[in-house]
Amino acid sequence: MPGHAFRFLIAIVAFAVLARLPVGLDAAFQFDAALALIWGFGILSLVLLTGYAGQVSLCQATFAGVGAYGAGMVVASLHGGYLLGIVVGVLFATVLGVLVGLPALRLHGITLAIVTLGIALVFDKYVFQDHLFDWFTGGTGGWQVTTASILGIPVDSSKHLLAAYDVLLALFCACAVLMVNLHQSGAGRRLRAIRDSEVAASTMGVNLTRYKLLAFALSAGMAGLGGSFYPLVTGSVSPQPFWVFTSLQLAAIGVLMGIRYVPAAALGGLFMAVVPDVLTRYGHGTFMGRAYDISYDWFQLGVGVLLVLQLILLPDGVWGDLRARTAPLSALFRARRLKEVKPA
Amino acid sequence: MTEFAAYTIIGLSVGAVFALAALGIVLIYRVTGVLNFAHGAMGMFSTFVAWQVFYGYPHPGMPSWAVTAEAILAGLGFALVLGLVLELLVFRWVRSRPQIVKAVITIGVLLALQSAASLIWKNNQYHLPIYLAPQDLTRTIAGVPIGANSVIIFVIALGLAFGLAAFLRWTAFGRSMRAVSDNPTTAQLWGVRVDMVGAVSWMLGSLIAAVAGILITPFINFDTTSLTLLIVDSLAAALIGGLVSLPLTVLGGFILGLLETYPTIWIQSLGFPRLIALVVILAVLIVRSPRGLPGTAK
Repeated sequence: MPGHAFRFLIAIVAFAVLARLPVGLDAAFQFDAALALIWGFGILSLVLLTGYAGQVSLCQATFAGVGAYGAGMVVASLHGGYLLGIVVGVLFATVLGVLVGLPALRLHGITLAIVTLGIALVFDKYVFQDHLFDWFTGGTGGWQVTTASILGIPVDSSKHLLAAYDVLLALFCACAVLMVNLHQSGAGRRLRAIRDSEVAASTMGVNLTRYKLLAFALSAGMAGLGGSFYPLVTGSVSPQPFWVFTSLQLAAIGVLMGIRYVPAAALGGLFMAVVPDVLTRYGHGTFMGRAYDISYDWFQLGVGVLLVLQLILLPDGVWGDLRARTAPLSALFRARRLKEVKPA
Repeated sequence: MTEFAAYTIIGLSVGAVFALAALGIVLIYRVTGVLNFAHGAMGMFSTFVAWQVFYGYPHPGMPSWAVTAEAILAGLGFALVLGLVLELLVFRWVRSRPQIVKAVITIGVLLALQSAASLIWKNNQYHLPIYLAPQDLTRTIAGVPIGANSVIIFVIALGLAFGLAAFLRWTAFGRSMRAVSDNPTTAQLWGVRVDMVGAVSWMLGSLIAAVAGILITPFINFDTTSLTLLIVDSLAAALIGGLVSLPLTVLGGFILGLLETYPTIWIQSLGFPRLIALVVILAVLIVRSPRGLPGTAK
């Protein structure tokens, strides 16, 4: 594993390259790029919760949705600044994460999956859609965010989409570095101990309550951070993007790409944002005299089939498999570095 | 009071369907160790096959009962094939994998089936339900209207539950299934064909899901997502039975059906019943000891 400074350098370079990437593209692809980061946060939060701490969750889109509605409420209803909106969105999502984490203290594996699926369904059909929660969701129309600025920089979706993208990208790179650092830290080791065996971890003196709740809080906060940018990027919030099937897709794509690896989150976010958009925009026409029309449903069909195939054939996900295949290459680098170190 | 009794009838009918769906989940879970999140989606797909036969083609000169019978047979036949195909193509290859991995695979199956169905039959669109008996065939007993559909659902659910229990208890194949559920390795050593038992469980489970799906169409907004998401209510009923007990599962289905129906007297909300299902799930899981469910301690 590369050292701290090297990781930081990688993040800076990644930011510099990725920030330039969508500049020349049309507005739709710029929108996809921003959306990819929002879903990337969703999958990154799963890497922490499932990949590191071994806690299954089928309600990450719910956390993102709570973040989005929290931010939308502050900006559209209370006329606060967008920075405050993000803070409130992350706060709401974190609180919900702790609440979900409480029953998780006594559950694991499939029972936790059942509970989180139930939570995703309740938020999808009840909280996000019932008139009882209109103060939070803005009623059937949702919240509209037309003008927004963060620390004086205009970041609204209509004219300054790339500014919002840059802010999101900077946050994503920072979170990615923090996640890799967490993996190496004492807290990360404790989380991984919980993943491998809760009994063994608690025997070794890991405070299960504290670290499980920590994992849920951090994970929900991260998903909420991505979600709180949703009203900014799309200009409005509605229940549809955060419904139960998005939660299932996030889990499916996270596992598909490699739930234990941080870069897989970026890969998964990109996949989740770009593929459906490309399919719906370019997926219709005629081929060999027959008209075809590829809709969004083909994307979900593909995700489902790929997930089944991946779990049978590549258990460690796409990124994990790539890593394993390139292991001889990286071993070469590592050996050379060791040789360089030896004389000193 | 009449209103209360009428809601009780609806609640019992819905509960009977929950109980049926939950029975399929428990059967597959006990025998193959797979917690099937795609159970609702499998039932949904088979139900739509039946719907297609019922409404999609003209049936010149056929009496209505024959059309219904043809549609149901088509749906159930498809369900058997679907269960067998899933076992042969997917679950046979992951038998030795951890339980949670198998559960995640069923999520992939769920996503694939739901989107395939919505490609064929279009998403978020109300479809006419399949009535087993004419909708207006009702008897009023002591001022309470009782629909023939409700009675049929109730009888079929209870009949299937008892039939399944009897099949597991008294037939040779049922004994093999219970043997595999207790210990697959030992069962294999004693000459039980584990592959065969797995295939039959998936086909039976899929069949039960299809029956549940076809029966519930008059009671819900019938589209590809609503039937798929019935999985949460079915899981709640299955958890009341501890994912093992067939009688407790049926009881759980009825309890959940009533609990979800009574509040609709006062609260007009599509989402509120889901909240009740979640509360039931949480209550069952927290009251039981953490390792109380079979197989979850692994």
